[in-house]
Amino acid sequence: MIAVSHNWNYVAAGYAITTATLVGYAVWVRVRIRRLRRNLPDENRA
Amino acid sequence: MTPKRWFLAATLVALVATGVLALAVTPPRENQGYDAVRLLYLHVPCAWIGYLAFGVTALASLLWLVPRTRNTVWDLLAGASAEVGVVFTGLMLVVGSIWGKPTWGTWWEWDARLTTSAILFFLYLGYLALRRSGATADERGKRCAIAALIAFVDVPISYLSVTWWQTLHQTGTVFNEKLDVQINGSMAFTLVLAVVAFTMLYGYLVRERFELAQLEEGREERELQIAIEERVRAEQVVTV
Repeated sequence: MIAVSHNWNYVAAGYAITTATLVGYAVWVRVRIRRLRRNLPDENRA
Repeated sequence: MTPKRWFLAATLVALVATGVLALAVTPPRENQGYDAVRLLYLHVPCAWIGYLAFGVTALASLLWLVPRTRNTVWDLLAGASAEVGVVFTGLMLVVGSIWGKPTWGTWWEWDARLTTSAILFFLYLGYLALRRSGATADERGKRCAIAALIAFVDVPISYLSVTWWQTLHQTGTVFNEKLDVQINGSMAFTLVLAVVAFTMLYGYLVRERFELAQLEEGREERELQIAIEERVRAEQVVTV
């Protein structure tokens, strides 16, 4: 009997890379927003 | 909870539902790398978001170029959308490559669709680099708007490349020449849901990136104002 690879390793790699990239990008943008907001003069702070 | 948080929550629910359907409900396909076909639900939405994002960048750039509608908002929106588009286009290339290995037996091939997509990615990387070049806001805005419109020419070329050249990459699953939809049932539903979920995520990320661009613009203006005030003060001291 020939063992058939169902290629789940490729699926896992694709989903892991996509999730890590998108979460990483969203967090990076949010952190920069917070940092800039913190440095705003008091009258401009929302 | 603010509308922004509600939108984020709805986006996350749509993404999780997509993930569950893609990984646990949809069937594998023998001619698409068995279970590797599940990468379809990432690859296609990422490609769609790339096209959408660069379309928004082109439209915003056009609005910035027309004197009657010229506003800094369009320039900032063009930059925000391009950056998000580059992230999704990069992911489309990586996920496509991962899917290509078990399906085609190769990570990369200089096929028409793959090549035009890679060109698209590098064109917008160049656009983002151009946005960081030193110049006055007006000069930079004009330069970037023209570059964005030129780069957008590659979007329809990339999209139609599978019809024009018919190399390794398959033709459109839904929008092909004969409008013959090659997907149905749970696969079609999951693909539509994935496209909706990713579009919502694009909306959230562009809004965030736009807010960041506005804050950066404000900081630059404040720094310029401080520099001018210091210069004036220094000149007054010299005069006295």
